[in-house]
Amino acid sequence: MSNTIKIAKWEIKRNLKNKSFIISLFITPILFLAFFLLGNLANSDEDQSVTTVYVNDKLNILPALQEAVQLHNLPFKLQKTGIEEDKIEDLLKNRENTAYLFIGKQSLTDGVVPVYTSDVISPMFANQIQLLAEPLKALQLEQLDLSKNQLAAISKGIVFEQSTVSEISKTEGGGGETEKILERIVPGAFASIILLSIVFSGMMIFQSASQEKKDKIAEIILSSVTPKDLMQGKIIGYFLLGMLQVVVFFIFIIPIVLWKIDVPIFHYLFVPHLFLFIGIALLGYLLFSSIFVGIGATMADIYTAGNFQGLVILLPFLSFVFVGPVLTDPSGLWAQIGTYLPFTSPAVLILRLSILEEWPWAEIVISLAILIISVWIFMKLAGKIFKVGILMYGKNATPKEIWTWIRQ
Amino acid sequence: MNETVLTVEKLGKSFKHQPIIQNISFEVKKGEIMAVLGPNGAGKSTIIRNIMGIMYPDEGSITFHNSQKNIIPRHKIGYLPEERGLYKNVKVMDILLYLADLKNYPLKKAKERAKVYLKKFGLEGKEQSSIDELSKGMGQKVQFIASILHEPELLILDEPFSGLDPVSQELFKKEIRSLANNGTAILLSSHQMNIVEEMCDRLFMIHRGRKVVYGSIEEVKKTYANFKCVIRGKNDRAVLEQISGVQRIEQNEDVSTLYLTKDIQPAKWLKNLPEYMIIQELSLDRISLHEIFIDVATDQNLLQEAGENYE
Repeated sequence: MSNTIKIAKWEIKRNLKNKSFIISLFITPILFLAFFLLGNLANSDEDQSVTTVYVNDKLNILPALQEAVQLHNLPFKLQKTGIEEDKIEDLLKNRENTAYLFIGKQSLTDGVVPVYTSDVISPMFANQIQLLAEPLKALQLEQLDLSKNQLAAISKGIVFEQSTVSEISKTEGGGGETEKILERIVPGAFASIILLSIVFSGMMIFQSASQEKKDKIAEIILSSVTPKDLMQGKIIGYFLLGMLQVVVFFIFIIPIVLWKIDVPIFHYLFVPHLFLFIGIALLGYLLFSSIFVGIGATMADIYTAGNFQGLVILLPFLSFVFVGPVLTDPSGLWAQIGTYLPFTSPAVLILRLSILEEWPWAEIVISLAILIISVWIFMKLAGKIFKVGILMYGKNATPKEIWTWIRQ
Repeated sequence: MNETVLTVEKLGKSFKHQPIIQNISFEVKKGEIMAVLGPNGAGKSTIIRNIMGIMYPDEGSITFHNSQKNIIPRHKIGYLPEERGLYKNVKVMDILLYLADLKNYPLKKAKERAKVYLKKFGLEGKEQSSIDELSKGMGQKVQFIASILHEPELLILDEPFSGLDPVSQELFKKEIRSLANNGTAILLSSHQMNIVEEMCDRLFMIHRGRKVVYGSIEEVKKTYANFKCVIRGKNDRAVLEQISGVQRIEQNEDVSTLYLTKDIQPAKWLKNLPEYMIIQELSLDRISLHEIFIDVATDQNLLQEAGENYE
């Protein structure tokens, strides 16, 4: 077994025997759950509010839809309407929890039912409305003679294409597909949790390196392994501890989320995009962990961190500066700047890719290239700083000293 | 002749263009205790850290004879650094096994040996104690055990006796001697001359990063340990200067110290002392390593002035 793996194993074992770590391992998902459930409780009235669904029904399918509503216990009040699509914009402007469905022959051939909603509507509506596809599918099958084209139409399925009233004026013929959105958001949220967990555990490297100096064990360890082995072992060890946090987090969270949200998370999670999202999160971890391990070795102990070291700890939080601008305009200048800055690119990329319908592949490739080069550079620099810093006892290194070590 | 385990040749290291050690050469042989002596800041720890590969020398070479060229056989070396400690919140046995594992030593064997040594050092039953529950002395014993658990061929101890009480010092001395008798090559740095004189086979003394004395304890004593006579009583310096065989005189109020030449015969020399000398007390003994060390450390270089050869 290589020394790197031995050190990684030791760091894991040491932390797993540490009461504070075990408590934090479970307290994080419990706190998250507590906030989630409390928030859910507060919003339960709103969530349970009934949505009035007007159906422009040219296929006489309303009774079948009523049955489906009752069967699935959906909070819908279905009403027949004769209003045409081009007039609903004005009607919806001042309404809440209201939706219009337009079901005609076109819906059966195209497999798309246009749905227009008021701006204020239950967040669960998008998923709940999909359950009304069943009677339409049944009708579709009844009417088809199963020719090749018809079979193709059946295989397409039926999707309720939802647009809020604001989106009607922006786009003709409705907005994006819920499924595609979920295929981006679910892996994006998954990768964000991974990034957050492993970056937080990466911050523990900071403490580990400085504590090793404080306990004066560093020189004893370095008589058996090289500084490179020690540094790599810490990075791998804390990565796995971060992943353990992710696993515990999901063990707690996923059953609750499945129960409360009723979205088939696994269906949307295991999509090809997931690998890219996870890759970005890993690169982010490698970048921050190399910085933390290097700078951690320059401190006498965690409690006496100087201004410089203190600022370095805050680097991962720089990404929050870009959250607002990215949400407002995911393809704007600020979003692009955040994508190209190595310290912000992991979080900004994940956020942008979760929002954007069309991915800017050129920007993704450039950003990943910058990130990979940055990881390589910071690993090299961290190695140089760690090698000298870990043996300097009793004081924090100054930026000038760190610069001297880098130049050596 | 014992086989050589470690050879250091013309070693040099500078920090910020300031030489810390220069032209350092010595050997450590199997089964011997070799001491590196010098005042604080002389460069002892720098030499050791270069040997251990924790620092990289600017000049010279370090050869481990039982290893491939340019590779430090870390698993064959035991090391107790001057700046030493242990993880605070881990169990004694866990840390011992981890450090043995880093030396590629079989865990089962390490566990057995750890139990034996813990018993030997009075730490029986402390296997599952956390390090922060131990006293400072107990912690030092655990550190020492960690450095020898993997049966090293070369054991490097940087100030191993500092901070130890006399009982623990004796325990450490006994164990170090026993390891040397069993064939371990031991390189020991210290500034406690009495211990070095008592237990080391050879010594290498440095000052300001340069060699001043190198050889076996016997050779060094033969070369440097002339007799000196300390007389309590008020005597004129002129009277003392007339006595034959006196190389140098130091006077401090009523106490005069006469440093004698190498060739004197003590009994004959005492007989020839003038009868009119005032003697309230008189002692005649050899210059100790301690005095050589103090002489070097305080830059008096009086022995050198007197024509002694340090190189």
